[in-house]
Amino acid sequence: MDTPSTPLVEMQDVVKVYSTAAGDFAALRGVSLRVQPGEFLGIIGKSGAGKSTLLNMISGVDDLTGGRVTVRADGREVDVHALDENDLALWRGQTMGVIYQSFQLLPMLTLVENITLPMDLCGLYQPRQSRQRALELLELVELEEHANKLPAFISGGQQQRVAIARALANDPAILIADEPTGSLDSVTADHIFDVFRRLVEEQGKTIIMVTHDNSLIPRFTRHLQLADGEIVSEGTLTITGAGRRSR
Amino acid sequence: MRTALVVLSIAVGVFSIGVISGAYAIISNDMSASYAANAPSNIELRMADFDESVLETVRNTNGIAEAEARRVFSIRVRAPGTNRWTALDLVAFDDFEANRVNLLIPVEGQGAPGKRQVVLERDALTRVDVEVGGLLEFELPDGSIKSMPMVGVVQDTAMGAGDFLAAPYAYITTSTLQYLHEPQDFNRIYATVSDGGDDILHIRDLGAGLKDRLEKGGAYVVRSRFSETHTHPLADTTNAILGILMALGILIVFLSSSLIANTLAALLQQHTRHIGIIKLVGGRGRQVLAMYLALIMAFGALALLVAVPLGGQGAYGLAAFIAGELNFTLLGYRIVPTALLIQVLVGLLVPLIAGLVPVINGSRVTVLKAISGEAARDEGGRPKVEGRVSRFDRFQTRVTVALARRGIHIPRPLVISLRNTFRRRGRLILTLFTLTMGGAIFIAVFNVRVTLHDYIGAISRYFVSDVSLDFEAPYRLSEMEQAVMKVEGVTRVEGWQFVSGELLDETGMVLENLNVFAPPAKSELIEPILVAGRWIEPGDVRKFAVSEAIFKYYPDLQPGDRLKIRVLGKDETWEVIGIFKFVDREGLLAYAPYEYVSRLTNYANRAFMFRLVTVQHDRAYQDAKAEELDAVLRERGFKLLSAEAGSASLDTAVESLDTLVVFLLIMAVLTATVGSMGLTGTMGMNVLERTREIGITRAIGATDRIIMLTVMVEGMLIGAISWGLGAVLSVPFTMLLARIVSLAVFETPIDIVYTLNGYVLWLGLVLALSALASVIPARNAARLTIREVLAYE
Amino acid sequence: MTNRTGKPAPVTDASPIIQIREVVKTFKNAAGEFTVLKRVNLDIYPGQFVSIVGKSGSGKSTLLNMITGIDHPTSGQVVIGGTDIYKMTESRRSLWRGRNLGIIFQFFQLMPMLTLLENVMLPMDYVNHGGFDERPERAMDLLKLVGLEQFAHKLPLAVSTGQQQSAAIARALATDAPLLVADEPTGNLDSRSAEHIFDLFEQLAAQGKTIVMVTHDPSLTLRTSRNVIISDGELIDETVARALSLLTHPQMMAVTRRAERVSFPPLRTIIRQGEHVDTFYMIIHGEVDVVLQGRKKEDAVVARLTAGDFFGEIELMRGGRSIANVRAGPDGPVELLSLPRDEFLRVVRESPLTEETLGRIVQHRLKENQSADRRRKLRLFG
Repeated sequence: MDTPSTPLVEMQDVVKVYSTAAGDFAALRGVSLRVQPGEFLGIIGKSGAGKSTLLNMISGVDDLTGGRVTVRADGREVDVHALDENDLALWRGQTMGVIYQSFQLLPMLTLVENITLPMDLCGLYQPRQSRQRALELLELVELEEHANKLPAFISGGQQQRVAIARALANDPAILIADEPTGSLDSVTADHIFDVFRRLVEEQGKTIIMVTHDNSLIPRFTRHLQLADGEIVSEGTLTITGAGRRSR
Repeated sequence: MRTALVVLSIAVGVFSIGVISGAYAIISNDMSASYAANAPSNIELRMADFDESVLETVRNTNGIAEAEARRVFSIRVRAPGTNRWTALDLVAFDDFEANRVNLLIPVEGQGAPGKRQVVLERDALTRVDVEVGGLLEFELPDGSIKSMPMVGVVQDTAMGAGDFLAAPYAYITTSTLQYLHEPQDFNRIYATVSDGGDDILHIRDLGAGLKDRLEKGGAYVVRSRFSETHTHPLADTTNAILGILMALGILIVFLSSSLIANTLAALLQQHTRHIGIIKLVGGRGRQVLAMYLALIMAFGALALLVAVPLGGQGAYGLAAFIAGELNFTLLGYRIVPTALLIQVLVGLLVPLIAGLVPVINGSRVTVLKAISGEAARDEGGRPKVEGRVSRFDRFQTRVTVALARRGIHIPRPLVISLRNTFRRRGRLILTLFTLTMGGAIFIAVFNVRVTLHDYIGAISRYFVSDVSLDFEAPYRLSEMEQAVMKVEGVTRVEGWQFVSGELLDETGMVLENLNVFAPPAKSELIEPILVAGRWIEPGDVRKFAVSEAIFKYYPDLQPGDRLKIRVLGKDETWEVIGIFKFVDREGLLAYAPYEYVSRLTNYANRAFMFRLVTVQHDRAYQDAKAEELDAVLRERGFKLLSAEAGSASLDTAVESLDTLVVFLLIMAVLTATVGSMGLTGTMGMNVLERTREIGITRAIGATDRIIMLTVMVEGMLIGAISWGLGAVLSVPFTMLLARIVSLAVFETPIDIVYTLNGYVLWLGLVLALSALASVIPARNAARLTIREVLAYE
Repeated sequence: MTNRTGKPAPVTDASPIIQIREVVKTFKNAAGEFTVLKRVNLDIYPGQFVSIVGKSGSGKSTLLNMITGIDHPTSGQVVIGGTDIYKMTESRRSLWRGRNLGIIFQFFQLMPMLTLLENVMLPMDYVNHGGFDERPERAMDLLKLVGLEQFAHKLPLAVSTGQQQSAAIARALATDAPLLVADEPTGNLDSRSAEHIFDLFEQLAAQGKTIVMVTHDPSLTLRTSRNVIISDGELIDETVARALSLLTHPQMMAVTRRAERVSFPPLRTIIRQGEHVDTFYMIIHGEVDVVLQGRKKEDAVVARLTAGDFFGEIELMRGGRSIANVRAGPDGPVELLSLPRDEFLRVVRESPLTEETLGRIVQHRLKENQSADRRRKLRLFG
């Protein structure tokens, strides 16, 4: 029932202000944004531009100072910041997969256990089912032969693929990725983008990703430039970003 | 490593509570069981010599189950070839086969001696150097020496049970008496009652009736003692001491729980990121809580696995040690169900309670906070998780700035140590609590030790003489003075008298034996500590000063009151002129002037006991003089019973007190260990948390030495603070501990004395411990390479 | 196309303050070995303001860690100010570092329990710099320099991040070290604070400090005197980077690998007019003259190319023979990087941006030559 005209994620005038001992600091200054189902949206900005804060607003990980974030997924319209912490955790676990630059796998669990965890926590799948599903997801990211290894025993790129598999565990509509290729070398990063592309094209997932790397722009179906807490430009696939480098 | 620390903290608590509760259960059960198992006498009568017929009378008395007659007399013994005489009480049995009361348990060799053979009580072995089969030499009152082989060792759990200070026993048959020039008569009755063995009133009643009957029959009962079958005479004392240990055990559990709380808090903090991830992928607070509670239970179970077997061993070890000291046998190794239950409860509940707050706080961690290390990469201006500048931080900097304005600059590395110390205030408080408790107990134990010794010192003022001489017959004062003053080094001599009597109640019933010493009223060999009234005077007639033990029977007694007593077979009423402090355990004691007592006994100007003063007062000199006097007087035909160094009996008392002190010290060391474990943990956690900062100092020029110093100064500062707090807290601890111990041992509260030793020793120890506790974390800190450190982001 | 600041400090005048020789860094973990630095060589000279750029994971921070002695190379040598820093113990190296280099981190890394002033004094205490009683005054002077004197007694948490970074710079200057090393110093700051911090760096560079700075912000590299690019653990030739700046880093790396160094004595002809050209040249240092041969055999220098410039592209892209003589400049030998025709064409094909720009440059140069030709009435550039 998600038609292209109803956005999956909608941010309306989101403001986020951090108060520090040295004074208030506005990380987001009234950001409005609509994400349609099936988009692979890139949010580009320098360090300090407010990219991660923006993601945190969508996932509800951090409170907002002003504005509203609405997510319409799985037949349910949710005002993200109106949920209490427990409901939010459950909703997020079912609706969103989150991927970070530093993988954030639990070091004491094997890969398959890491992927099973969100299913166990949200209770959408039976325990036997969830293990089966975890193995399938590992297969999707081509890591099935490492299923029973601990994260420390695989490379960074492989860990990130496991993190993606984990993000997919509860079959969420939305994937959120914060510099997912930031600590990977270029070949490995390519591999990760392949996985993302397939998820968008073959499974119809919606991915919102932030990065500081302009050269990734061609990878997205749409991108936004964020600077000092505001969206400064928006575009579909272009090479203007790279052009800027020629000064 | 942190898991190990948590498990270890729990294990220490479980272990100590297991040892103490186990030992408590074993001892309180086995002590009375083992005592009762050997048919202890309920009634002991010390009498003038008597024969079979008297024993028959006793046996035929209603309510008496078994009765045995023995002859007990004091004799000196030595191993051949040595010159060290030891006093023994020789016990002559008619028939060892027919032993029904105060059973002897064979330990080694024969359980019963034959004619001209001797069997030693286990305790005697510590004083006489002899092995089974070896010869012993006995000195008879006439100075002649007889020798007999020692053919076996037995344990007598009943006869000497109530008396720390009694001489050890040895056993012969009545057929050997003649060989030792002793009459073939008995002088003691040991009897058990047929029922009501645990009813002291019944026993006392029966005993009084028996005594009356015997005395009517012409026998003379010098002294009587009554005791219950299932109550070891020292049970009260032992229980009191175990009580102290139990209190310390509970304290250790407390301390270890603060250690657990500390470590768990740090563990949870380390897991913050993991918790964040779990919440991020859909975990709710409740799920996280359950997970970590399960983890704590697992820690507890792990700790139990280690501590329960060790605690069982420890409990038995402690019980065995105490049993050895108090001369009773344990019923064998076993697991005490109560102790096990307590251990399991402590092992599971204490960590749960201690961990509840950190775990609840941990489960409340928000995703943002948990992954903010990640977020901080991106967002400028974001406050770090560490939070804001607290008022305390501001206060600290203000002090430094104020000092700097006055030109006092503290080197910055030291400033780091100082401020780091107060950074984790919750953790600091918990650490200080454990370390302070350990220190306070440590110091208090030293104070108690000195207090006890001081009290013994005070008691010794009743035994100021350097040598005590006891004779079989009375000798004229002048004659004795002439004889002993010839011995070199003797400067003074006093003749004392002694009468034994009984304290009566209003109706004339015997309450307790009363020993009345009669030194010259102006004697300088006794410096009493008076609680009320005055000391004896030469003109006192039927007046005496009694020891505090009197309060047991007459709690409201005051000088001027009159007491009914029986002396030399006559009931009389004497006036109490003063009440003095003395060790109650020694029984009811009284002093009356020689001037009056010698008239009473018709031995004017004569005495059985003489007290001597020598030029030197150390134990060795006293021993030498006693031996010399012994030889000289015997040679001149005096019927000397014994010549003893004045401090001989005190030394025995001091020894048994020191055993107690050692116990307390072990507990103190254990608490101190827990304290320093806490400190090690704290320093380890501090260093771990400050890894990044240590890396920074590395990056700006800090050498290994400075990094280690920074950490160690912090540790030692904590140690020093805990010392200060411990020093203050040690005062109430000393009072409490001294009160419990003195009540247990002396049955009277005693004046507390403080010693610097404990304070100084603990200062040294705590500084050394804290240096040690921080040296490993410090070395680890210095070893960190900066890359590791900055990768810690 | 030439970089406006493309002038490395004179190579021959002084010996390098930092010499990195054949440095390899391999990380081992359970997943296997991963080589982050692959035989890196780099010289940095006193007074240079060097930026090191590279993508995340390219090894730029590891390279910086090799300079600061924070990390150990697996093999190779790092000599700074004549000291082989990996011949020292960790502890000695720390002391050496305190005296000889100031480090500035992305996350400021001030000691949170010390005031700003105390933070600045700390390195002086560690390395025993100056008299104990002079330190407060010296630290205050440094705080004044970065404009923080009124915050001297505040704790780091009580000031803004920009101010924290300023204090960190003051701390890095505390022991008067000749070398400053900075790891993404503006990476965690808003743009205004970043600007302030960068101003401070420029000021310090002008005062003669040697500064090495890692960044991934391309706009900052413009303002440094030298730019080192690292890609997947290898350094991209600086000449390649300057000449073909629109290539992606892997493409630059490919060029670096294929290009060969050639050198020509003064006035030696490199390309003869009318000759078939099948090499692309980039100038490492020295000068190259583009000369048109007149009919009367008189030479006219139409252009003088310097380090970072390139030539041969016109012929290679349009096909055909050289339209001019190209020869080494008169004042000294010239060092060139040469790239074979096939390689060059492949690179250009792979990078549409480069192709587009080169095309523009070709047009521009042709136009220049034509006008020169017209002026001098000579036939130009076949």
